[in-house]
Amino acid sequence: MNTTYLPSDFLPIVVQFGLAAGFIVLTMIVTHRIGPSRKSKMKDDPFECGIEVKGDARTPISVKYFLVAILFVLFDVEVIFMYPWAVNFQNLGMLGFIEMLVFMALLLSGFYYIIRKGVLEWEQ
Amino acid sequence: MYPIVLLSVLGIVVLFLGFMKSKSVLLPATLLFLVLALASNFIDWNQGKVLYFYEMLAVNNLTLAFNAIVLVSAFMIVAMTRGFQDQEEAQPAEYYGIMLFSLVGAFMIIGYEHLIMLFVGIEILSVSMYILTGSDKSNLRSNEAALKYFLMGAFATGIMLFGIALLYGATGSFNLTDIQSYVSIQGRGVSYILYAGLLLLLIGMLFKVSAAPFHFWTPDVYDGAPTIFTTFMSTIVKTAGFAAIFRLLSHSFTPIYSFWWITLAAITVLTLLVGNIIAVYQNSFKRMLAYSSISHAGYLLIAVTSLSPQTENAILFYSLAYSIATISAFGVLMLVSKKKALEGQVDESYAAFNGLAAQNPLLAFVLAVSMLSLAGIPLTAGFWGKFFVFGSAVERGLVWMLVVAVLMSAVGIYYYFRAIIAAYLKEGDIGKIRIAPFYRIILVVATAMTILFGLAPGIFEKLL
Repeated sequence: MNTTYLPSDFLPIVVQFGLAAGFIVLTMIVTHRIGPSRKSKMKDDPFECGIEVKGDARTPISVKYFLVAILFVLFDVEVIFMYPWAVNFQNLGMLGFIEMLVFMALLLSGFYYIIRKGVLEWEQ
Repeated sequence: MYPIVLLSVLGIVVLFLGFMKSKSVLLPATLLFLVLALASNFIDWNQGKVLYFYEMLAVNNLTLAFNAIVLVSAFMIVAMTRGFQDQEEAQPAEYYGIMLFSLVGAFMIIGYEHLIMLFVGIEILSVSMYILTGSDKSNLRSNEAALKYFLMGAFATGIMLFGIALLYGATGSFNLTDIQSYVSIQGRGVSYILYAGLLLLLIGMLFKVSAAPFHFWTPDVYDGAPTIFTTFMSTIVKTAGFAAIFRLLSHSFTPIYSFWWITLAAITVLTLLVGNIIAVYQNSFKRMLAYSSISHAGYLLIAVTSLSPQTENAILFYSLAYSIATISAFGVLMLVSKKKALEGQVDESYAAFNGLAAQNPLLAFVLAVSMLSLAGIPLTAGFWGKFFVFGSAVERGLVWMLVVAVLMSAVGIYYYFRAIIAAYLKEGDIGKIRIAPFYRIILVVATAMTILFGLAPGIFEKLL
């Protein structure tokens, strides 16, 4: 590995950083300068498809939604592991196949655990 | 390696055992699994250094000895849970499962050879601890503790990961041996990124073992968590964490000792001062033990800072002595505080021990021995632990640090003896406490080990 980087080699990063920060600062200044600023009660209301605001956003939501959402993310992410494995299936050979079987066994035992715990039963 | 594979699978088995109608099988099963893991741990004994998992994990006698300490502590703690029978809302299968999984994390950070392995191990260990801290769901303090621990722990993990990234940037490798060869070739001419990376990595790891100034979470978390899991945290996480710090510094960064020792020395002294002096002002015994665990982190850091040939032995012995004494102290606290529970609130103050010796001589004796060991009084294991730690500092010539450490041990005697005085000299109305037979055996064995290692510390070295 090349370990002889000079500080000047990092110049593009500095330029990139300057550009990114500069763009934000510039757009903020320009939009405040050139845009008209009118405030009214109607205009400051939260806008959601033209429907009038009702109640508060902080209502209690059943914990089941969170459980299902978290489990979805979990299994979704774990399935992603299968894509690179499938692409390299030929190269990984038998060992790769066995490793994926172990992975799936762990995943499915987790799935079985969730079902037995009754997490997916909505009516309870 | 074998205990890692075994406990990963057996942890899942424990989870599924929880579906059986009878919960009484869980405790013996978990204990059996821990014994199996301990037996499998010694398959690699005396094989020299063996690398596993694509050279990401190293096994040698030192890591196996740390593994054994962790497993023995875990066995004692699990045995003291008594199956969580007395708690209605408890989920014993999940608790045991998480405890076994967290041990996997502990083994990984004890024997890592690759910084990714360190990171994964620390995450497994920490996430398990976050869950166990908040396991008492109906208790507000437990919830608060879990949230605090999680938020601060997540930040510490982030800092640690940043450090690992910078180390990779400087050396081009995650492998400890590669980093070592880079550092020894470059000497003091290493890239500054490496210094920054090492410091950030150390901050993350020192947070996990609650060294000052990264200790602020410790009292609240140890106090809020259910006592059994506090015991788990203060023994197993600390032992594994110090094994990991020692491994990192002794394996990879000895050539730049002159750089990092000053930082560590400052942290050591600060940890000793903070832990011991604040512990004096505590009225709650449990909170005192939390500060005591900070101060013991300080003593262990002395050994790490001095990094002499004796250090590994000193850390091993100290961890063992500290773990046994802490387990028996918390064991007595659990029994007494439950007996003295008032209106659902457990009494964890020193006053709870008032008059303990009158009707419960065994418990008072166990408490006294563990306090003496933690204070470092001769004829207990804690004395020899401190002796070895101070010895390694003398070898390095860090005498000024020893002056601080000895002064702080003297301070320590004050707050440890308050518990003994409460148990033996104060009047109290504490009745006879019924102890389950197995619980009694664990307490007696822990006390016997403390005294045995105190009388003959050489036994331990022969075992190695």
